[in-house]
Amino acid sequence: MRRTFLKGLAASVVAGASLSAGSMAFAQDAAAFYKDNVIKWIVPYKPGGGYDEYSRLLAPYMEKYTGARVDIVNMPGSGGMKGAVEIFNSPADGLNIGIINGSAMVTNELAEIEGANYKVADYNYLGRIVADARVMVVAANSGIDSYEDLMSDGETAVIGATGLGGSTYVDAVIVGDVFGMDQNVVHGFNSSGDIRTAMLRGDVDGMWGSLGSAMKGIESGDHQVILHGEREATGVLEGIPSVFDIAAQSDDPAGNAKILTSWEGLSAVGRPVAAPPGVPADRLAFLRDAFAKAINDPELVAKAEESGRDLSFADGARTGEIAKAATDLDDATRKLFVAAIRGEL
Amino acid sequence: MTVIEGMMSGFLQSVSLTVLPYLVVGALFGLIIGVIPGLSGHFAMAMAVTFLYTMEPSAGIAFILGAHATVAQGGGLTAILFSTPGTGQNAATLLDGPPMRDKGEAGIAVGAAMASCFLGATFGAVVLGLLIPVLREVVLFFGPPEVFVLAFLALTFVAVLGKEDMTRSLIAALLGLLLAMIGVDNVTNTHRFTMGSDRLADGLSLVPVILGLFAVAEMIDLYRRGGALARYTPEALSAGDTQRQIFKGIGLAFKHWWLVMRCSAIGTTMGLIPGLGSAPAAFVAYGHAKQTSKTKETFGQGNVEGVIAPEASNDAVEGGALASTIAFGIPGSSSMAILLSGLFILGLETGPRMLNDNVDIIFIMIFTIILGNLIGTIVGMFLVNPLSRATSIRAEIMVPVLMAVIVTGAFAGNASVFDIGVAIFFGIFGYLMKILNYSRAALLIGFVLGFAVEKNLYLALLLDGPYFVFQPIPLVLMTITAIFLIANVWSIYRDRRRKV
Repeated sequence: MRRTFLKGLAASVVAGASLSAGSMAFAQDAAAFYKDNVIKWIVPYKPGGGYDEYSRLLAPYMEKYTGARVDIVNMPGSGGMKGAVEIFNSPADGLNIGIINGSAMVTNELAEIEGANYKVADYNYLGRIVADARVMVVAANSGIDSYEDLMSDGETAVIGATGLGGSTYVDAVIVGDVFGMDQNVVHGFNSSGDIRTAMLRGDVDGMWGSLGSAMKGIESGDHQVILHGEREATGVLEGIPSVFDIAAQSDDPAGNAKILTSWEGLSAVGRPVAAPPGVPADRLAFLRDAFAKAINDPELVAKAEESGRDLSFADGARTGEIAKAATDLDDATRKLFVAAIRGEL
Repeated sequence: MTVIEGMMSGFLQSVSLTVLPYLVVGALFGLIIGVIPGLSGHFAMAMAVTFLYTMEPSAGIAFILGAHATVAQGGGLTAILFSTPGTGQNAATLLDGPPMRDKGEAGIAVGAAMASCFLGATFGAVVLGLLIPVLREVVLFFGPPEVFVLAFLALTFVAVLGKEDMTRSLIAALLGLLLAMIGVDNVTNTHRFTMGSDRLADGLSLVPVILGLFAVAEMIDLYRRGGALARYTPEALSAGDTQRQIFKGIGLAFKHWWLVMRCSAIGTTMGLIPGLGSAPAAFVAYGHAKQTSKTKETFGQGNVEGVIAPEASNDAVEGGALASTIAFGIPGSSSMAILLSGLFILGLETGPRMLNDNVDIIFIMIFTIILGNLIGTIVGMFLVNPLSRATSIRAEIMVPVLMAVIVTGAFAGNASVFDIGVAIFFGIFGYLMKILNYSRAALLIGFVLGFAVEKNLYLALLLDGPYFVFQPIPLVLMTITAIFLIANVWSIYRDRRRKV
């Protein structure tokens, strides 16, 4: 295992410096293998969602840089786990890859949910497409204007969430627990869209979610961000406190920062493209290189911007490290997370 | 842009040469997808979305929405001619469509269905247009307590659906509710009735269940019975006769304009409510038509009103379903989620910005629904003749061919072999229900609404406490439900006394 890893590392290093002679030989072999071959790209959700859209956006450019045909196969089920397991168990020939829901797969693995028959840290990653910034939004008509308001208004805030273990739920209970928020997390909403409707109606005060999906409500003035999980605030988040700022001023800065860093790791996995463990090093290096070129293709970047889809690329090796860090927690933090995911917090 | 300007601009764009061809292609595509059992509007849109990357916004919208708008029309055709619902929305059409075919009135049924679809869709689209100024308020009207009570109200309609007796209908409906509980519970993460199976953890999908209950069961019945699908008409109708029947059917739909209006209103209202979907709307409309009809007793034996009602309402849903998507960018169904991602790809924003700056886009949607259904109706008329000939083919040939189509349809939705098994299981189950005289429609309604009832009850209890039913709107709706139930029980009681 360790040897494969080292070989993979070596291969990716040489492929990165693609001028060295050795890598040319590697790349040529792999290039010949992929030329006119067929890559099966698994999407663990139904057509039409974000994962599907990113995949269809990328596929033509993966074809351009690999020379292979990319077939997208939708394989919905078990909240994305069915497809993730399928990728994990598919032949490690470098022809079976797919996109996965990184943070959900991490939480499911941590809580040992039935059907989580994969190891997030063991996938071979081609790279990460995007990692969503997590934000806490409140309804404009909730009477809450800022984080200080939320903490000091003496009222229990009603926070909406989807199912147990979903990211809207885990974010709310972990951050709420760290800062001792006076909140009532109501879970059971069908989708984050349902929670947004409930906020507009005034049924709930706020929710956690990705910045991307919250943007529409923020722009229209229906919702307002009061807290976020980014270390450096940019764009609409400027001037809004980060959970890390608040942790630094809390009673237990080091302890809180540790939990929040692990929490940050969940969303940092984002939406990666993964191959099963054991893919030959030269092919993996070739795929990683093709992925890096595809996602940085100016044409694709322009298209993504046009359709309102963010990109935050991380290369394959880095994505692997992030995934490892997200699942490798110390006992106390693991216990807290598992309790949060199972709804026992 | 004012609403009037938007309407003019939307209309001119819809009929322009840069948009209309896409609308026509989309509508034809949707019609064909609808005719094929198991493939739904959701599927049509998901396929259409992949073509959007290179399209102009207005043409793209006409294309995907056109494909979605005509699906129910195509599905109605299959329901009437082959006793197989083309999509879930058409399940209610099975109650009176196939009996009309058996009487040799297939043309009339199809004509009435097509025209009702067009009228219903137009009604829904016009209502959407009228609601634009108050769209946000209307959508926010329905919270968990309201949706719970409405779903419950819809559930009580099972009592009047079929020709079966009420006790059996209730048993079937409750069984449907239980079937809806299968899978991982969203709230507690508990596995319910999954028997350790990963496949069942996601719950049963709607499409294979409907295909099994109605289509596979009919195939078993047909195979055992032998003969042809159109039971009492050994000779296929001539092309001329079919054509005459179709026009007669269209005339009947217009003659029952008041019924069409009421059922369309039911469809549009239920479309506005997120999570209810169009299959229950069609059943509720059918129940309403039966309730108010002067010829109640002929329902289920080929009454044209029983075709007009569900077909008008299942297309009127479209206008209502678009409302929350347009007003807030929050999709109310999986189809609307796909539409939303399509709009993203086209670079269009929904929500207040669309309501203020892009009213013309909303009107392109409205005219697409109307024109798409008009195209569907006209093309559908030409499809009837060749398709209706197939209904005279012997069972030995027809059953294997249709079974192949049904199995493919069951598989296609989720690319899952397990779903084929589900369809076959419910086929045998549905056949047993049919011969034992249990209402399959009631089971389906329970199944479709079970999830909405449970989820909204849970949320209503958490958000508003146990007394949520005493809030003004839920209280009014609850009272209507109670009155409706009492009236029904009373009329059944009275009928029984009369018979004795």
